[in-house]
Amino acid sequence: MSLNAKWVVIAVLSLFFLVALLLVGYRETLKHRAEEEPKAVVTGLNDGCVTCHRQHSAALVMQWEASRHAKIGIGCVECHQAKESEVDAWKHEGVWIASLVTPLDCSRCHQKEYEEFSRSHHARAGEIISSLDNVLALKIAGLPDNPADAVNGCWQCHGSIVKFKRDAQGQIERVGPEHKPVIDFTTWPNSGIGRLNPDGSKGSCHACHSRHEFQAKLSRSPENCGKCHMGPDHPQIEIYNESKHGIAFYANRAQMALDKNGSWILGKDYAAAPTCATCHISGFVTPTGEVQGNSHDVGERISWTLRPIVSTKLNLVRFDDGTQDDFPDTRALPDIGATVDTTEYVVENDQLVAKTVPRKVAKVMTWKDRRESMKGVCLNCHNHTYVDNFYQQYDSLVTLYNDKFAVPSKSIMDELTKEGLLNPKSPFGENLQWTFYELWHHEGRRARHGASMQGPDYTHWHGMYEVSKHFYTKFLPEVAELAERRGHGDEWKAKIAALLAKDEHVWKQGMTPEEAKALQRAYEQRYEEKTK
Amino acid sequence: MSDGGAGETSRRSFFAQMMAGIGLLLSYGLFGGYAVAYLFPARVRRTARLLFIGRRVDFAAGSTRTFVDAKGRTLLLRPSGDSIEAFDTRCPHLGCKVHWEPDKDRFFCPCHHGVFNRDGVATAGPPFDAKQSLTREPLDVDSAGNVFLKVEA
Amino acid sequence: MTTGSGLSSRVQRFFAEAIPLDWDALRTVGAEPVPYHLASWWWCLGGTPLYLFVVQVATGILLTFYYVPDPSGAYESVLKITQEVRFGWYLRSLHKWSANLMIVAVFLHMLRVFFTGAYRRPRQLNWCIGCGLLGCTLGFGFTGYSLIYEQLSFWGATVATNLVEALPLVGPPAALLMRGGAEVSGNTLTRFFVFHIGLLPTVMFALLVAHIVLIRLHGVTELEFRGKRVPASERTFPFWPHHASTELLIGVLLMFVLTVLALAAPAELGPKANPAVTPEHIQPEWYFFFSFRLLKLTSLKTSVYLTAALGAGMFLWPFLEEMLHRRLRMPRDVSVALGVLAFLGFLILTVWESWAG
Repeated sequence: MSLNAKWVVIAVLSLFFLVALLLVGYRETLKHRAEEEPKAVVTGLNDGCVTCHRQHSAALVMQWEASRHAKIGIGCVECHQAKESEVDAWKHEGVWIASLVTPLDCSRCHQKEYEEFSRSHHARAGEIISSLDNVLALKIAGLPDNPADAVNGCWQCHGSIVKFKRDAQGQIERVGPEHKPVIDFTTWPNSGIGRLNPDGSKGSCHACHSRHEFQAKLSRSPENCGKCHMGPDHPQIEIYNESKHGIAFYANRAQMALDKNGSWILGKDYAAAPTCATCHISGFVTPTGEVQGNSHDVGERISWTLRPIVSTKLNLVRFDDGTQDDFPDTRALPDIGATVDTTEYVVENDQLVAKTVPRKVAKVMTWKDRRESMKGVCLNCHNHTYVDNFYQQYDSLVTLYNDKFAVPSKSIMDELTKEGLLNPKSPFGENLQWTFYELWHHEGRRARHGASMQGPDYTHWHGMYEVSKHFYTKFLPEVAELAERRGHGDEWKAKIAALLAKDEHVWKQGMTPEEAKALQRAYEQRYEEKTK
Repeated sequence: MSDGGAGETSRRSFFAQMMAGIGLLLSYGLFGGYAVAYLFPARVRRTARLLFIGRRVDFAAGSTRTFVDAKGRTLLLRPSGDSIEAFDTRCPHLGCKVHWEPDKDRFFCPCHHGVFNRDGVATAGPPFDAKQSLTREPLDVDSAGNVFLKVEA
Repeated sequence: MTTGSGLSSRVQRFFAEAIPLDWDALRTVGAEPVPYHLASWWWCLGGTPLYLFVVQVATGILLTFYYVPDPSGAYESVLKITQEVRFGWYLRSLHKWSANLMIVAVFLHMLRVFFTGAYRRPRQLNWCIGCGLLGCTLGFGFTGYSLIYEQLSFWGATVATNLVEALPLVGPPAALLMRGGAEVSGNTLTRFFVFHIGLLPTVMFALLVAHIVLIRLHGVTELEFRGKRVPASERTFPFWPHHASTELLIGVLLMFVLTVLALAAPAELGPKANPAVTPEHIQPEWYFFFSFRLLKLTSLKTSVYLTAALGAGMFLWPFLEEMLHRRLRMPRDVSVALGVLAFLGFLILTVWESWAG
């Protein structure tokens, strides 16, 4: 190559190099423009809050900054704003706010979730205040002026009636130069899912979507539900943990896409395992390949109620105002368009009051419809035969518990009350009443829940084993003892004998010689021991 | 530095050589510019805004408070009349941090014994010789008694 | 311009006195005639790695401004260079690609030297120095790759130091020296950093100087092409501007190629090193593929010994060839066959590993 040509080539190559360098510079600018996006946006409205609270409550601000809310400029005032007329409003640094953020506040943006949640079982969890459980906590475990058991126990899951301190004239007490209203400490802090809020809304989004970071992964994780769905009376989390579903979840947590922004669809975003949310709330791919979106109406896919003494299938009646009621399948279903009297619990003067509200039926979902929607989740991983057979297994356990123990024991209790041997005004006055309460409320539920979510140990040892042991060795003897004490001993001995003479209880009279021999042989082979 | 020969080829050669030189200079020059940009950390774009510091009523007479602003400067705040005064604690001499000595009613810099009176004016030490005072940051007090510092962040 | 000439002559005098060198002789060195065959592009393969080495030094110094040689911060600092620092990704990509090209260029340069017999007497020592330079280049590649502290590079360092450990006698102490302990640890990263930016550059620089000085002292081998008579006047051409322009051309071409490579395939960063979990699939950088494949084909001992023996054989080949020629009457042309064989072997193993993974 001639020297001249070389100089020309150098000139051309250096031009190429220059162009490549300009491309490098272009990419560099693009990169930094893209990087600036996902930072917390502090709008002018929230600037004052964030500046001050960064010092007073630094971690809170950091949590918020990490939230998706912060990235799109949803800050303090957007959620905490209040109207001057609201009972819990106060003027803080020049802005009317409320400390308490309720589902109604969230509904300003999350309307669909608010509607679904508000009609759900979850939103009505606060109505427990009118149940036996509340009698236990307030009366039996509490003092007239100290409801601490309910405050720290029941209400932290079920929700409190949020109240303010009031003076003798009934005016809300206020403190400080900004006249901050004083919340009754027995009613808040409270993140119970059925909290009864001062603005009339029910529930608390924060129960599952903890503030101020509002991480999706929290509400998708089973531990989140386990705060309340656990323990002797409804050990759902324990059952889940022992089930194949739970095992698969903990082994594959990293594959669950728990952190994904936006929708979280089984069969699309993840497949490793179902969590509580997967089956009861979240979206899934249907057998026809469509995406069924999520619903915050948590009980929608449930076909049995496992809570009462005797389980029934549950139909769902939705009214034209968006509310709904569960109709046990023992109750006749109304026609669409018919008007039905419903009971609604409202807070009046800080008390929960039941009111009868006539409502027009808009839609009916039978228990079969509800079961079909749950099967849609199951069928993501299991085939039809598997799912149908599982439901038969589950149904048979509930029926067994109902027929053999729940129905007879309930009719005995009803009869004793009718005959005046039990005082209905004193639900825990007799040992028998405690025994019966635990029989269905603890042991019976454990058996039923165990079967519903594939926890064998809870079905049997914590469930049916306890039910049958206590039915025979505590419940029936205590019935006899009570009747004896009340002067009806002979009459009730005969009734119990008649019950035990039925086919399902004849085992008490002993096994057949063949059965006894077979059992003895089995033990000899297994443990080399002789039955005496 | 050319092949020599006829004037025509010589001129062409010179032109080619010059083009190559310019090309090399431009391209390597830009490359060098990038390298320099790499060494200087990117400046964050700042916009001026008011930073809430506290309320006037929260400052008791005679008390002082330090405040770290968004730039990382430590400011010393002291109530004065209806308002608040803020001093940058960076000594104008060589950048050590001065502190307030309430008993002596003065700012003191431990590095070279610079002394400033309560208005931040140097009264002794090297800053006095150089007639350097502490930097005073103007604060805004709104009608509600909220105190703001104007910052770029 | 009356003072100009006066000033320039004064400046010239100052330097002549301050640096008492024979400036005229130096000028002669600069204008040294270069053999005509260097006009062929094959003879620029020595200058190419040198140019790339300069690129490596420049970008390397820049990277060191932000790099943190500590296990707790190394990965994060590389991440910062790649994502945050202005043009960090570009300079890091240049460094990476230039390293890869440098290895290719060194290999090609060696092939040229070998197949033209330029390693023979009296240039045996320069061949050995060249082999040292190859070793340095590979050492740079290995330690540099480990510095980014991602999963693959971490486990690469673990496997490589354990390979070294398998060498007889020198293996265990050498591995201990490299790692600063029995396992790859925080010490290892610091040591690799020192090797990469301190020890290796120093050694490389010294060897480079020796290499070039020897080239200059011996003069470039003049080739005789069969059947081609070149008149004496055309047997050489001046270093400046002819050969210098070639090198300039290659330099700017390399910068262009490197920049395009940085744009098309910028240096990436895998997951952070986790000493508790070995990734499912590990592989070294491509220039160690041959040794990695050898390891899979044979036992640990065989492959390590074989690699060491081949390395030593290559290093000492000028002397070995002479010895074999004298004692066993081996024709010198056998070298060419052996070289082809060795290169083909290297190529096959490398391609095999890259295909089979």
